[in-house]
Amino acid sequence: MAKIKRKGQTGNAKNYITRTQAVKKLQLSLPDFRKLCIWKGIYPREPRNKKKVTKSLTASTTFYYTKDIQYLLHEPLLQKFREQKALEKKISKALGRGDVSDAARWERNAARPEKTGKPRYTLNHVVRERYPTFIDALRDLDDCLSMLFLFANLPSTSAVPAKMIARCERLCLEFQHYLIVSHSLRKSFLSIKGIYYQANIQGEDILWLVPYKFNQRIVGDVDFRIMGTFVEFYMTLLGFVNYRLYTSIGLKYPPKFDQLKDEQGAELGAFMLEGVNIATDGETKAITDGEEHGPDPKVQAEVNKIVQQLKEDESNEMALVSTEEGEEENTDAIDKFEPVAPGGDILPQPSQSSSDTSQLFSEFTIYLSRETPRQPLEFILRAFGCKRIGWDSVLGEGSFTTDESDPSITHQIVDRPVVQATMSSNGDGEDNQTSQKLGPNQRYPGRIYVQPQWVWDCINDEELKSPELYAPGASLPPHLSPFVKTSQGQYDPTLPLEAQETEGEALDAELEDQEVEEEASDEEVENDMDVDSAEEKEDEEDAGSFGGFSGDEQEAEEDEEEDATLERQRELEAELSGKSVKSKPVDAKMKAKLEAKKALDKKAKEEAEDLERAKGMLSKKKRKLFEQMQYTNNKKSAEDLKLRSKRRKLEKEKAKVNGTA
Amino acid sequence: MGSKLVEKKRKSRETESESEDELADGAFDGVLSQSDDDFNDLDSEEDAHDQDDEDESASEKDADDDDALLSDDIPSDVDGEEAISKLLRETELEIEEPGVDPKRKEEDTEDRNYRIEKDANGNERYVYDEIDPVYDSDDSDAQGPVNTIGNIPLSFYDSYPHIGYDINGKKIMRPATGDALQNLLDSIEVPKGWTGLTDINTGNPLNLSQEELELVRRVQMGLLPDDLHDPYPETVEYFTSIEEKMPLSAAPEPKRRFLPSKHEAKQVMKLVRAIREGRILPYKPPEEREKEEEEQEEVHFDLWQNEEPQEANPMHIPAPKLPPPGYDLSYNPPEEYLPTKEEREEWEKLDPEEREKDYLPQKFGALRKVPAWDSLVKERFERSMDLYLAPRVRKNRLNIDPNSLLPKLPSPSELKPFPTVAQTIFRGHEGRVRSVAIDPTGVAVASGGDDGTVRVWELLTGRQVWSVKLSSDEAVNTVRWRPLKDSFILAAAAGEDIYLMVPSHASVAPALDQASREILAAGFGYATNGQQQTAPGKEPPAKWARPGAKLEDEGVLLRITVRSTVKVINWHRRGDHFATVSPSGQRSSVAIHTLSKHLTQIPFRKLSGLAQTAAFHPLRPLFFVATQRTIRCYDLQKLELVKVVQPGAKWISSFDIHSGGDNLIVGSYDKRLLWHDLDLSNRPYKTMRFHSEAVRTVRFHKGGLPLFADASDDGTLQIFHGKVPNDQLENPTIVPVKVLKGHKVVSKLGVLDMDWHPREPWCVSAGADGTIRLWM
Repeated sequence: MAKIKRKGQTGNAKNYITRTQAVKKLQLSLPDFRKLCIWKGIYPREPRNKKKVTKSLTASTTFYYTKDIQYLLHEPLLQKFREQKALEKKISKALGRGDVSDAARWERNAARPEKTGKPRYTLNHVVRERYPTFIDALRDLDDCLSMLFLFANLPSTSAVPAKMIARCERLCLEFQHYLIVSHSLRKSFLSIKGIYYQANIQGEDILWLVPYKFNQRIVGDVDFRIMGTFVEFYMTLLGFVNYRLYTSIGLKYPPKFDQLKDEQGAELGAFMLEGVNIATDGETKAITDGEEHGPDPKVQAEVNKIVQQLKEDESNEMALVSTEEGEEENTDAIDKFEPVAPGGDILPQPSQSSSDTSQLFSEFTIYLSRETPRQPLEFILRAFGCKRIGWDSVLGEGSFTTDESDPSITHQIVDRPVVQATMSSNGDGEDNQTSQKLGPNQRYPGRIYVQPQWVWDCINDEELKSPELYAPGASLPPHLSPFVKTSQGQYDPTLPLEAQETEGEALDAELEDQEVEEEASDEEVENDMDVDSAEEKEDEEDAGSFGGFSGDEQEAEEDEEEDATLERQRELEAELSGKSVKSKPVDAKMKAKLEAKKALDKKAKEEAEDLERAKGMLSKKKRKLFEQMQYTNNKKSAEDLKLRSKRRKLEKEKAKVNGTA
Repeated sequence: MGSKLVEKKRKSRETESESEDELADGAFDGVLSQSDDDFNDLDSEEDAHDQDDEDESASEKDADDDDALLSDDIPSDVDGEEAISKLLRETELEIEEPGVDPKRKEEDTEDRNYRIEKDANGNERYVYDEIDPVYDSDDSDAQGPVNTIGNIPLSFYDSYPHIGYDINGKKIMRPATGDALQNLLDSIEVPKGWTGLTDINTGNPLNLSQEELELVRRVQMGLLPDDLHDPYPETVEYFTSIEEKMPLSAAPEPKRRFLPSKHEAKQVMKLVRAIREGRILPYKPPEEREKEEEEQEEVHFDLWQNEEPQEANPMHIPAPKLPPPGYDLSYNPPEEYLPTKEEREEWEKLDPEEREKDYLPQKFGALRKVPAWDSLVKERFERSMDLYLAPRVRKNRLNIDPNSLLPKLPSPSELKPFPTVAQTIFRGHEGRVRSVAIDPTGVAVASGGDDGTVRVWELLTGRQVWSVKLSSDEAVNTVRWRPLKDSFILAAAAGEDIYLMVPSHASVAPALDQASREILAAGFGYATNGQQQTAPGKEPPAKWARPGAKLEDEGVLLRITVRSTVKVINWHRRGDHFATVSPSGQRSSVAIHTLSKHLTQIPFRKLSGLAQTAAFHPLRPLFFVATQRTIRCYDLQKLELVKVVQPGAKWISSFDIHSGGDNLIVGSYDKRLLWHDLDLSNRPYKTMRFHSEAVRTVRFHKGGLPLFADASDDGTLQIFHGKVPNDQLENPTIVPVKVLKGHKVVSKLGVLDMDWHPREPWCVSAGADGTIRLWM
């Protein structure tokens, strides 16, 4: 006899488990369960049929896979949670009894990560479990980096201990150092939310967002316990990722950290990278070259010069070293296969452009003005090969030079408006180098002044942009996202309008132009045209319903008739208002265009009819699918259309302004 | 209660003092006080007892009622309280010297060897007692009053009352001898048991018995009052103190007594190992340890040292990445991305949840003007909420061109020709036109209507060329042409009669007319001659006869009378047979008539359901009968059921078979038109529901054009393009192409019948409004 099958014993009813059931099964509190889920990467599922899953009448909202929860049962962290729970109980009991000393003793054992920033457990095994290979970890690094960079910029509160913030900051800076050394930063984008960076590590594209250096406002109800749980995991993850990345390029991890420099705001400069085989070499390999030669601000200009020259020599040496390394790398690189004899197929090879872009700024000595954001600029410039970056001492420690008048400076990044009035120079009595400072708007000769966007546009386009466009005070060219992959037919702001617009649109636009011209002379006509178009629309709608297809010629005739009646009406109106009848000034060109438009409209109408007919033959399911697809496509194209029309308008305005000027 | 107690104590003291007064010799006084002093530290109970006694004795003497009452009031454990009260009294008495602890003072008075006196100046002066050298003191100077009579015998003083002199020269009196005391006592006569006390109850002197005196004595001696209890019993030793010479067991001393313990060694080694490995650390003050722990760095190592790529769990869905920022998120976007005023207002009006984007594009002239993004923390938080709380579902995105979904339709030009307009309207019938048919040559249209006439019209002009009135009371239900061009024979049914006629028509050559008449007449020569051999007593299924001279003149040459009203006539393709259906006739509803033999056969003795219509297969010897719900297909040669088609309609009105023979269209009274592919399935391939009323007739174009049409009660005909491909694997293409509107709906009836032209894309329709229309 076959086994009797009962309801709720197999299938979905067994495969899914509600959250309450899961919590009960694991004997955890809900916050602990949440933590465990976050760390183990267990997320709810959506069963196909909710009714089959729940036996209860009340609708549960969150379902987990039973297998997932079973897997959690063996988690060593579970034991830790339970121990912690028992400890808490002991403490509360002791306090209830009034045994303060006992409670204090237990309290010492209890982990208080929110206070110390250090839990009693490690998440190493969880990281390894979730990411069996290093590539897996890299793939999931987006959220990790965004979160840690955000926390590195948060103010410390009771919910976010200062230690956690410091640790986040350190991990982030270490990661940035890796990107600088390995030149794996690819793109960056200044958005209104913050700065997006994209790096390519071992073939994985990693995109993260770094907020601007402001005090972050915390709006809305944000549960920092949840965020903290994530951060805890992400810190462990990034720590191990950093270790692996550092060791992969022969560096020691963690790098030497200079507390003093960090306190002076050196940020990236507070780290000193060391090679792994330090025992044999006995010397540290400084990656951030210029930094250890911090210039003395009190020395005179001439002395400065000499020192500068010395430094340049040194840095040149360093550059040489790095180029040598580059050559070594070249031996590893792919060789170019050139066809010897004609007739063979050409196989595509990846280009070697990355090595070129990594040295984009290597020739320059760049000085950052006081008002520019130092951290992102320093990071990007270093990642793209710049060795000598100077900035004003107010921006923190670690600059190549704090002296603005340094003659070795080739580029200066400024972000201030051009002040026309020449003011009497400076009242900064405290500054030591006032004598060398120039007044506002005065520039040192022989150096290029650019706005910060220049740096971003250069790295995104992988070429040095012409600095004239980015001169201080100039209105900047639009800053475009390098992450957008334009698909066929999508609006692309980099291309000229003519290349993208459809035929109909172009015609419309031209007609509109002429109409606008007419508008000035006669408004009534325009009104009539409006009526006309409305009627036409109605006609179209009528044709949409089933009724086969009516003869097109017929309709065309009707249209003509309508035109004729309209003309008559216009005349009548003119008579009533006492004006003389104006024949429409229609030149031949306009007429041709109108014809073309009419033809286009007709074609479109035919196509629509065809489509309608074809749709009639689809099954209901397929028709729905089709309509959905059409819906999204239409929405996109409507957006593009809007953008194009806006641009057309703008261009027209610009042209007008130019014309009048 | 406490205050009462104290009061009572005070009173008892007073009584005591009274009793003291009363006791003249004070012998008891001293005894009691001595017992007080000596046994203060002893058992308080004892004390209490004797105090109790004293109290009792006192209370006996005291005649005060209150006191007696009070003493009665005192509960049974009064002994203990009395003891306490006594102690209290003592202290009370002694608290004369303020600031000095009474006990302390008591001790002091006992211990200290000086007195405090005031000297001339009024200062304190310590006057020390004379040192009393104890027995083994080496102080020879200080001695008590010693007899200093020197080295002379004491007998020298026998005659004197004194026995010598002390150091001060005073006489030391001879101590009284026993005799003297005895003599004195003897001289005083004391009654037996005399105490000198007075019984308070009687007022008589209180005499004590021997036992009582013994008790007093024992108390005096500091012994327990009753002699039954022995306070000092003989000790019984728990352990013997005697060491036995011989051991109890002769077993030799076990080895473990003199070998070091292995277990202990193990434990020690454990500890040693733990210390070596650093699990046990030397003690450090907790603060120091905490500090160290804080300083401790996180340990890092290569977590992926021996990594093994694992096959991802098929159930695992990785979290989707956030989309990369677009152009409109730039701090300095192209200007066309900036929202217009209306767009901005619209965006602001919407609820934050309803907004498509959570930001508006903004343009800042310079990087320094870009402010902090307010909701960044919130966005991150929402992302993390999504990561752990949002159910993940894998959705397959169809990355296909939507146009590929659309069927490849023939272009409209390919679909043409099809009828579009009403070319001719044939008027003449009174009442409804029930049936209409175009002759095989395509020049004449025959129609039959409610007025009982059959009319033949010229197709193109609409001129009526011939007419005959078959019946005055019955409507002509159906007219059908014999489908061969070698004749010009029309079959019509009115009521139970089927008439076969040869209408006169201009296009009909006399030869053709003659041929037709011969075909009809041929049957009369046949053996049956209209009379079928039937079982005796049974009515023949049909009677074949001449309709009468009047009708014969008109051209109606043959009449077949069946049992019930005939609704449908359908010819076989060869023109020799035709089938009639009379839905109301029970068993004989379907009949097949053979023209050449004037023979009528009823193929079904029993039919499930009411027969609606029947037709011959256009190519093979198959016969289709439609009942209300199903269409059955019979093989006429093998005489068996081949197939049952189930269109799923509630009430089939008509059907037609495609000229290819593999496809079938069915019209039903429940407004449906169904296309069946007979090879494919019993179920319909397509269901078309474009009519708002019942579908009356469906008809394929038989002349090679891929057209079919249906006529409905909503007054319209719908023309479809229905192409059956030659390839068996391809599905037929069905395209609705035209709705022909024109017929009026009269009493809920619209178009009753329609027929196609044999070659051209034209059709005629018969309406309930009494008209016939030609559509082309």
